[in-house]
Amino acid sequence: MERSIAGQVITVENLRHTYDGKHLALDGVTFGVSKGEVFGLLGKNGAGKTTLIKALTTLITPTSGTLRILGLDPLHHGQDIRRRIGVVQQGESFDFATVEGNFNIYGVLWGVPRKVRMQRREELIKAFGLQEVRRQRAFDLSGGQKRRVQVAREMMHDMDILFLDEPTTGLDVIMRRELLDSVKVQAHRGLTVVFTTHNLEEADYVCDRVAVIDEGKILAMDTVENLKRLYRGKKTVEVTLSGGDAAAFYDSLRAGLVGSDVKADGNSAVILTDDPKEVIQRIIELSQAKGVQMDWLNVRKNTLEDVFIGSVTKKEQG
Amino acid sequence: MEVPGIVKLMYRNVMVNVDPGTLIILIGLPAMYLVFFGFGFGAMIPLPGGTAAYLTFLTPGIMSVQCLMAGTVGGSMLWADRRWGMLAQLLVGPFTRLQYLLGIMFTSLLFGLVGALVMLMGAFLIIGSLQITLWGALTAFAVIALGSIFFGSLMLLIAGLVKSNNAYNSIQILILFVVNFASTVFYSFSGGLPLPIQVLFQVNPLTYVANVARGGFEGVLPADVTWQLPLLVAETIVVLALATRVYVKSDITFV
Repeated sequence: MERSIAGQVITVENLRHTYDGKHLALDGVTFGVSKGEVFGLLGKNGAGKTTLIKALTTLITPTSGTLRILGLDPLHHGQDIRRRIGVVQQGESFDFATVEGNFNIYGVLWGVPRKVRMQRREELIKAFGLQEVRRQRAFDLSGGQKRRVQVAREMMHDMDILFLDEPTTGLDVIMRRELLDSVKVQAHRGLTVVFTTHNLEEADYVCDRVAVIDEGKILAMDTVENLKRLYRGKKTVEVTLSGGDAAAFYDSLRAGLVGSDVKADGNSAVILTDDPKEVIQRIIELSQAKGVQMDWLNVRKNTLEDVFIGSVTKKEQG
Repeated sequence: MEVPGIVKLMYRNVMVNVDPGTLIILIGLPAMYLVFFGFGFGAMIPLPGGTAAYLTFLTPGIMSVQCLMAGTVGGSMLWADRRWGMLAQLLVGPFTRLQYLLGIMFTSLLFGLVGALVMLMGAFLIIGSLQITLWGALTAFAVIALGSIFFGSLMLLIAGLVKSNNAYNSIQILILFVVNFASTVFYSFSGGLPLPIQVLFQVNPLTYVANVARGGFEGVLPADVTWQLPLLVAETIVVLALATRVYVKSDITFV
């Protein structure tokens, strides 16, 4: 039976998935994506992004919860859904053929008529700057070239939803921007895009809404602007120490600061705070008391990355 | 009218497997068997009619080898698709898991039959003449088709179970060697062989394929066929079912 919330092409309700009945990869994920929206999934490695993409693309059956893609239940309409989606996976996926060959084979697999196939192949090879390598075997290309082939190849067929799992990995700055711009253009034409990334600037640039995911849970979800607004007025203090016990230093700092999020990583830490002066004062006092040296201290406005760090830090601190 | 998914997958399988390496395995190796073993053993084995008689004996055997070679290529297709991410990519495309599996099976079948035809033509060129009835040819090709499905399923089963590239390659080479040489492809079964090798001959499905194919060429099926052929059919069904189960249950991962 078809069921979805009006206007949403992806509806996910309380989705849970465990591997081998033990490892909980998705823990009650709920969200919806509207037609033409670019929806970002932000999270560190192992956060559950790829498991979520696998569930959304019908590759795995979730342990429990409700999932509707284009109004269809993946359990009963998997093939109907797959006919209408495109997926660029995180790792390499090529046929043992030339770049042209990969485009041709993919077009045939998707049932693209020969004339359209040839035309699209030429357009994509040109648009993604692959003219010089078109007769080389895909496996012999550089990392960035392979990525371009993989993304371009997916554009050979028509689709309603495009899933991009870290699509810009290995691309240079210009190609990255061009790819993100092409995603925006496609979204304006009605294509829905689900986009996973580590790169928060990218999410900020291309996504209408983002969900911050960690340990299988969505920690925060909103438009980029609204998420940033949560931290409006807050500043980010960055500090790097040398000498002494950095972990103990940051534990003491965390204990002494109320209303600030301290995210420590080795000798460095990022602190989201309403009162940067108090944080700096406390850092100076603690460094003198504990005999550690400050190598770097910086205060700046918050970014989407700080929202991400803030969400994860809040969860870790309970 | 839309082309069926299995046919699209077969097209893709053929396109990505017509590289020199695969062609050497599929055609080159059996062709070398035909030439080197044909003339080598033909000179040593005292048959009335000499080397030509042995080549005539060997031809249906080498044609039968094609079903093993095609099965090997089928297993390698699944292995490579898992290893290089195309399995996950295809399964998030407009195909079902069953279509993907059948695509490989039918490609193996196609490779087995085409390879057998190439060997038949090669043998004709080498020997200069070959006598076979239409019924005999149909019998030979039918049993080679059955053998292609058996060995295709067996190699798919192994490709589905084995996790390491080295292990898969080692098992493949071992199977190629043992199945080829502990069969009636190159020589007849003899009671003078050591008992373990006799057993290997008798349980080897390639022996059944070669015996039926040779019977088709000679116009008389050997008596053993009455139990070997039903056993081959039963084994094929069991191995196909096992391969399907392992494949359907396996976790398909993005690499």
